[in-house]
Amino acid sequence: MLSLNSDTLERLNAAVPASVASRRREALREYGRLDMPSPKEENWKYVTLGFDLDAMTIPAAPGDTLPEGDFLSALSHRAGSAVMVDGRLTGIENHSEAWLGSAAEAWGAYPPSDLLTPDTDKFAAAALAFSSDGISLRIPRNRAVEAPFVIDVQSTLPDTVTFPSLDIRAEENSEATVVVLLRSPDEVASVMVPNLQTTVGSGARLSVTTVGIMGNEGVTIMHHRSRIGRDATFRAGEIGLGGRLARIDLRTTLEGAGGSVEVVGLYFGEMEQVLDYRLVVNHVGRSTSSDVFLKGAVEDQAQSVFTGLLRIEEGAVGTSAFETNRNLVLSDGAKANSVPNLEILCNDIICGHGSSVGPLETEPMYYLMSRGLSRQRAERVLVRGFFEEAIGRLPVDDLDEPARQAVNRRFAEAQEGGRV
Amino acid sequence: MGVALKVRGLQASVGSVKILNGIDLDVPFGEMHALMGPNGSGKSTLCHVLCGHPDFTAEGEAWVDGREVLGLEADERARLGLVQAFQSPVAVPGVDLAELMREAAEERGIDPEEADRRIAEASRRFDMAPFLERSINDDLSGGEKKRSEIFQISVLSPKAALLDETDSGLDIDMVRKVASAVEEMRGPGMGVLMITHHSRILSYVEPDRVHVMMGGRIVTSGGPGLAQELERDGYEGLRKRLGIKTPSAAAPARPSSDFFTDLPFEV
Ligand SMILES: Nc1ncnc2c1ncn2[C@@H]1O[C@H](COP(=O)(O)OP(=O)(O)OP(=O)(O)O)[C@@H](O)[C@H]1O
Ligand SMILES: [Mg+2]
Repeated sequence: MLSLNSDTLERLNAAVPASVASRRREALREYGRLDMPSPKEENWKYVTLGFDLDAMTIPAAPGDTLPEGDFLSALSHRAGSAVMVDGRLTGIENHSEAWLGSAAEAWGAYPPSDLLTPDTDKFAAAALAFSSDGISLRIPRNRAVEAPFVIDVQSTLPDTVTFPSLDIRAEENSEATVVVLLRSPDEVASVMVPNLQTTVGSGARLSVTTVGIMGNEGVTIMHHRSRIGRDATFRAGEIGLGGRLARIDLRTTLEGAGGSVEVVGLYFGEMEQVLDYRLVVNHVGRSTSSDVFLKGAVEDQAQSVFTGLLRIEEGAVGTSAFETNRNLVLSDGAKANSVPNLEILCNDIICGHGSSVGPLETEPMYYLMSRGLSRQRAERVLVRGFFEEAIGRLPVDDLDEPARQAVNRRFAEAQEGGRV
Repeated sequence: MGVALKVRGLQASVGSVKILNGIDLDVPFGEMHALMGPNGSGKSTLCHVLCGHPDFTAEGEAWVDGREVLGLEADERARLGLVQAFQSPVAVPGVDLAELMREAAEERGIDPEEADRRIAEASRRFDMAPFLERSINDDLSGGEKKRSEIFQISVLSPKAALLDETDSGLDIDMVRKVASAVEEMRGPGMGVLMITHHSRILSYVEPDRVHVMMGGRIVTSGGPGLAQELERDGYEGLRKRLGIKTPSAAAPARPSSDFFTDLPFEV
């Protein structure tokens, strides 16, 4: 077990190029300087962490690989896959022309992405300092890979923290689909701090869907940074189901003219879960477009947070930016917080946002019941219908069915238990 | 033959606004009754109150095939055999029509194959194939919504069907189809109450009785000739014949002006 200190850092540094080592030392300095985030900070409002990173350790060796599960088995057709267990790369398989391998290995060939900066927060600093390994995926220019790459990130050991680094680059005019699963078994209190960085070269088309299915004690604090080039298309899919706390801090920058980003997905919190989405879309290039579309539900005492900032910089003329966040609150004790935001420093743009938080609507309920559906069945049908719009927009069709099953099962179980 | 729908002394209000002022009605099995009346006279409210809309409080009695329904939840009433085709059905995004019909069948214990057979048959009749996999009433034209409603009645084949202006907004061919479907449904297992503003549909399917509602009451009933009289003389003429002079007494109470848009009577 390795503590988060300079000894550990130097051990990790022994194997990496000097440039990477010095960036790590800088990150460690930030780590020492920064406090654990508190709910008093705007960007961490509503979130009680309940642990101290300093007290956690990095596993020295990986535990047992987890069984497959519904989401993975639905992804039978793959271009390649990579498995990380407790911070170590344990398996790679690649049937494509893309480069898929260990991030540490890739660092020898080219420097890691630097989209995430260590001053972001203590978790970002820790991720940049202590990441022992990760996965690097590079799609060569002009190549289109049709089947998805599957990156299965697991955390299996209690009281540990891992910092998987996921570096995805789609070069000029390439095309690829990626699915990242973040998982842990129930009852294992572990913390995963993935650092996901995606670079979409000009004219490239990339989608990255994260499937958050940590167990009931698991915590994920993910940073996702993406940078989108000229006429490039990026789609980020989000399926948020697991974890005691699952946070995604996604910042995407539309740099080149004509680039576009779509963030679509769904989340469903139960019991004491906190699902925390912090999204920033930064329009820099001209004629860029963004569309954020997230639908979520909470039941029991679960809480969700959505803060979405559309920032349109001076010079980003011809921008179109939209943001929608709809929430169903299914139990009295549950709470959804939704805060869409605009920061517009430029004229000549089209912009819109919509957000809603509330229970199932009464008129559709009455309509379904007037066809003879019992109240419970009508509720199930409405919950299913609520998510359907988001499921239909997920970037990977193979994930539709397991996502649908998961949300339906979650609500049906709450009904059976009399919790909703 | 028994009575599909029987209503006695039905009164209803929303909050402190009284809308139905005592309705008596009998629709026997095998019969089709037309219900006419000016805008705002309470026809749709009657349907909603009978079907158990949660906004209304009701007094009085109503039976479907001899079973009292007023105290029941909306879904129980539907499963007892009381179903309406809505005048303005709400959109239910994400839930498609075939799915709704399958759920409705499953709730009634109808086996899935039989349900699919009924769906296919009704879908052929009302050209609903393009709409089966689409969200209910979402982005449908006015007439398409009406088709969807009558299609559902046809699949669910209730004992008492309330058709609330199902013929409004339909093209000529579709009005004929609805009329012939009603003609067929009007069998020993069903009684139909058809609300309409147009005597056109009544020339394709002749009602056994015509009722006229004003101010939350049925003010007169008669044979098919009554619809023709209305067509000729309008409600104003009928009021004169019946000697209804004091509309404010018959109109629903109005606590504030914005409750009331279409005045059924001159004030
Ligand atoms: N929820 C409600 N709250 C307040 N007033 C209502 C409500 N529903 C109906 N009303 C009022 O009750 C009266 C009867 O309405 P209803 O919809 O039953 O009329 P209708 O006879 O169906 O009219 P139309 O021919 O225009 O469809 C109207 O004055 C209407 O404004
Ligand atoms: Mg009406």
